[in-house]
Amino acid sequence: MSQVSMTVNGKPASGAVEGRTLLVEFLRDTLHLTGTHVGCDTSQCGACVVHVNGKAVKACTMFAAEAEGAEVLTIEGMAAADGTLSPIQQAFQDHHGLQCGFCTPGMVMSAAALLEENPKPSEAEIRDYLEGNICRCTGYHNIVKAIMAASGQDVSKIAAE
Amino acid sequence: MPKDGGIGHATPRREDVRFLTGAGNYTDDINVTGQAYVHFLRSNVAHGNITSIDTASAEAMPGVLRIFTGKDFEGVGGLPCGWQVTDKHGQPMQEPAHPVLAQGKVRHVGDPICAIVAESLAQARDAAEAIEVEIDELPAVMDMKAALAEGATKVHDDLNSNLCYDWGFVEENKGAVDEAIKNAAHVTTLELVNNRLVANPMEPRVAVGEYKRANDESTLYTTSQNPHVIRLLMGAFVLGIPEHKLRVVAPDVGGGFGSKIYHYAEEAFVTFAAKALNRPVKWTSSRSEAFISDAHGRDHVTKIELALDADNNFTAIRTETYANMGAYLSTFAPSIPTWLHGTLMAGNYKTPNIYVNVKAVFTNTVPVDAYRGAGRPEATFQLERVIDKAARELGVDPIALRRQNFVH
Repeated sequence: MSQVSMTVNGKPASGAVEGRTLLVEFLRDTLHLTGTHVGCDTSQCGACVVHVNGKAVKACTMFAAEAEGAEVLTIEGMAAADGTLSPIQQAFQDHHGLQCGFCTPGMVMSAAALLEENPKPSEAEIRDYLEGNICRCTGYHNIVKAIMAASGQDVSKIAAE
Repeated sequence: MPKDGGIGHATPRREDVRFLTGAGNYTDDINVTGQAYVHFLRSNVAHGNITSIDTASAEAMPGVLRIFTGKDFEGVGGLPCGWQVTDKHGQPMQEPAHPVLAQGKVRHVGDPICAIVAESLAQARDAAEAIEVEIDELPAVMDMKAALAEGATKVHDDLNSNLCYDWGFVEENKGAVDEAIKNAAHVTTLELVNNRLVANPMEPRVAVGEYKRANDESTLYTTSQNPHVIRLLMGAFVLGIPEHKLRVVAPDVGGGFGSKIYHYAEEAFVTFAAKALNRPVKWTSSRSEAFISDAHGRDHVTKIELALDADNNFTAIRTETYANMGAYLSTFAPSIPTWLHGTLMAGNYKTPNIYVNVKAVFTNTVPVDAYRGAGRPEATFQLERVIDKAARELGVDPIALRRQNFVH
């Protein structure tokens, strides 16, 4: 066991980890931030996406020790302190971009990373960026629509399906 | 309470905010003070006799609390099937025993052999690698027709054959259906495979068992679409716990598509082990494990015949379906190809004579149960495909052929 320290959602966080402890295990089991989910443990589904130093990372594919000193942002850090949803979170609700909610934290974190890089992505760019995030309920259509809406684009011409 | 604008107005969902902020409460988010973790060592062969299990070195490994095998469940009930089907002769279906942990024999890849309970999941997994299991591999039956052939290897030695049931709906109609097909102006025949699939919800299954000695009460937290049925089946048929001493909690569920309706061995195990160890016990499925332990869907092989008169009116439908049950009967498996499939064969059409035959078969594969529509999509698929084929054969418009035969 070794000690690891990082900043998570703006607050200092530390704990004892094994070399094999994954970042997602540290977040869920040590810090009790259970919003980050594990859907596949093989880096395919994207339910565990968090930001590490501003980049979207699959937290099941990174050791906790590798995040030493890093700035980590999880789904729990996305809304304002008073509970107001971020524009992406609000758009997911407004456009029904979720059903069971299990993939949703990863979708929101990936969407946030995309809009950071590309503030007005096209529908094709959004679909391409989300290739590492799997949703089993929605068929993706409303997720794409929500992200376009969150970026301030007109979605009225995208049919509701 | 959100304001509801009534029919035609979008209503914001009440659960969205917690899901969008990471505040959802899925089963894997639940941790009970003092919990231990279980990892299942599963069969990597489809069929075989277990000749020895050596857990000695694994038991000595750090953090290991106890390793359970089939022996620990000898006096415990098996997982029951919740829907009995009577065959075309009025006889009950064949229902094999379905132990919580394999008893001397493994019957599909993924059949659980040992359950390793340790202080941490990593320790349980490490210990599993130190267990020596010898399996004398037997021929495996995969193909349903081969499984019913004379002399086929039996999945269950104590059953007469690999046939669970041979069902007819309605048996009394068979003569009239055969006659209508014989007298038809045209008969279209189609053979179809409705392939097996894995439901794969985004959230893998999880079960946490807890036991309170003070009042002899058990609690199971589980990824379930159907907690009341699990309480009934597990309490009454597997562990012998009266309902007022058993609580089954299903919190937020990350998708199920049918696969989280059933009562699974892992749920019975954690409830049993929590009492045996006087420690809460948690199991979280990996994605790979889900493929070999969640109930699969579909897996039908069907021959369908559609008879038409000289004016292209449907006069009869006759089907013969082989339905794969897998190695054991999952909770509602027998009902899917029968009451949820055979009874739907009319579709939207006014066909006067219909007969459906279903042979449910045991094979050395993962058990199959209801998946998304369960039987009804299989029936619709066959029926609509055979109508398309009939239209092609007769050189008529497939839509016009349907309209002509609609119930109206």
